[in-house]
Amino acid sequence: MKRLFLGAATLALMTGAAQAGSHLQDTSDKRIALSNNYAGNSWRQAMLATWEETAEQAVADGVVAAADAYTTSENQATEQAAQIQNMILQGYDAIVLNAASPTALNGAVKEACDAGVTVVSFDGIVTEPCAWRIAVDFAAMGKEEVDYLATRLPEGGNLLEIRGLAGVFVDDEISKGIHEGVAEHDQFEIVGSVHGDWAQDVAQKAVAGILPSLPEIAGVVTQGGDGYGAAQAFDAAGRPTPLIVLGNRQDELQWWAEQRDANGYETLSLSIAPGVASLAFWVAQQVLAGEEVPKDLTVPFLKITQDTLDEALASTPEGSVANVSYALEDAQEVIAAAK
Amino acid sequence: MTLLQRLSRPWIWAWLAAALAFAATLGLTSGRGAGELAYAALSFGAFAAIVGMGQMLVITLGPGNVDLSIPATMTLAATLALKVMSTDPGTALLGLGVALAVGLGTGLANFALIFLLRLPPIIATLAASLIYQSLAIWSNRGLRIKPPPGLADFATGRFLGLPNVAWVGLALALIVWVVLERSVWGRWLLAAGQNLRAARLAGMPVEAVRAAAYVTVAVFAALAGYLLASFSGGAALNMGQEYLLMSIAVVVIGGTSIAGGNSNVPGVWGAALFMFLVVSMLNSYGAGAGVRNVLTGTIIIAIVIAASTRRPGA
Repeated sequence: MKRLFLGAATLALMTGAAQAGSHLQDTSDKRIALSNNYAGNSWRQAMLATWEETAEQAVADGVVAAADAYTTSENQATEQAAQIQNMILQGYDAIVLNAASPTALNGAVKEACDAGVTVVSFDGIVTEPCAWRIAVDFAAMGKEEVDYLATRLPEGGNLLEIRGLAGVFVDDEISKGIHEGVAEHDQFEIVGSVHGDWAQDVAQKAVAGILPSLPEIAGVVTQGGDGYGAAQAFDAAGRPTPLIVLGNRQDELQWWAEQRDANGYETLSLSIAPGVASLAFWVAQQVLAGEEVPKDLTVPFLKITQDTLDEALASTPEGSVANVSYALEDAQEVIAAAK
Repeated sequence: MTLLQRLSRPWIWAWLAAALAFAATLGLTSGRGAGELAYAALSFGAFAAIVGMGQMLVITLGPGNVDLSIPATMTLAATLALKVMSTDPGTALLGLGVALAVGLGTGLANFALIFLLRLPPIIATLAASLIYQSLAIWSNRGLRIKPPPGLADFATGRFLGLPNVAWVGLALALIVWVVLERSVWGRWLLAAGQNLRAARLAGMPVEAVRAAAYVTVAVFAALAGYLLASFSGGAALNMGQEYLLMSIAVVVIGGTSIAGGNSNVPGVWGAALFMFLVVSMLNSYGAGAGVRNVLTGTIIIAIVIAASTRRPGA
């Protein structure tokens, strides 16, 4: 009995702390929906799992009344627009959105705003001004890869670029950053570029096809989900393994650790954490609570270095992708930084 | 055989195109890396050839027959097989059994939808593929399990200088060719594709032939998924994606009639090699994604026209 009372008191304290600043309203009767356009890879699966965890805890703690996740089956903007309209009709107070298109959903998003629904987009953001955007500076991510290579290979050399899915915003941004980096560090030259579609097997195939025509490669710049495939293609062709920048997938980290133990291999791994969904959840909660939140927020990418490799590998489930779950305090920090 | 007669064989064009793409890539390196490139083409071409031969059997059944559930079947078979094996040595055959059973199951399910519910094959296989894909997601949540080391070594290994996966693809090609050209079942398949009504009136078991074709394509897809996952270090939820259009493209480029009733096994292999080599060639020449897609499309159209206009009696 005493424990129960203590627990309740702690909970009350915590709720109180969460609403410190006193101008914030109670959101315990609010309902939040996740509109997700795609679930067909390990990153999205980890994203959905993090959302579920965060949502369950938040509902149990009485922070919100509901936080349900919905995923469209065909990754189509029209399908997702219909899904958003259904959410408006269902009376959700906020929609957290990973969008199939930056522009094609603007009409549906505007309808939601007009109906008084808060829309927070993340990862796949929308350009409609009434929505909030939690974006990653993908160009900076690309540039950081080349900056890192410059510290490791001061002599420079030939680079192979593995891009993502052609025609997608994220692919263009990361590639832009990489090319900016190469322009700055002119000891590097990109001698080949292939599209790996952010998938190990596609990347492996594309790299195996271009390798015979390439000179010696000093480094491989990637976009995530393609580093292990590239390593396998180099191995199959009997070429020395270059410095491959990785993208936080568990099989990449595992391979890195094996190489490090075998021959002291050093590299860098960076990508967006799927847990960004939990950050979007807390931002939506803060907006509902009446906090003044700037429309454009930036989330840092998750970076794994030689020193943090073992730690990251230990905390990443086998076959998944390295992740962090964001808490309310992280959201408040991000909001404060944008103000 | 005169030159004109040689050119009139529809499969020759896919092989010519593959050879040209191969030569053009090597022109860039002045001959260096020929073996490497051929080896890579045979490895990756094998997966396209295996699913392509399955698709060819279904397309031969006549207009409207196509299997759009190939990517989902590949993903589901690979996911379940790798989950059952869970990287334990000595489980390769068990995993193969699971993969083939999945193929058998999805093939029968597809045919049940087409035959019992009378759904058009395009709708039936597309709808079913959503179920297979969901089962794959549900069964393992997208976690990538490594294949057992022995199986991975086999999938990436070589025998007599050729990749093991290419041997598997060549063996299947031989079997399919013999069945099509030398067995009654093959004749039934061609007859059903040329005129379903006539074939039925002639007393052929056309429904059994159709069922066998839909089951075969699914089993081939499952086998390709199993091999691809073992080759690339694990099953991924999006691993089959590019094999949807690829499987249809290699059939059409290979000289099989899209109207049905006419199969071409050597053409599928030539087209599978070509599809890998043309992308490698354009990548090697530094073509951007837009240029690459436009050129690939243009070249495919050119080959299909070349292969179809010279067909004897056409």
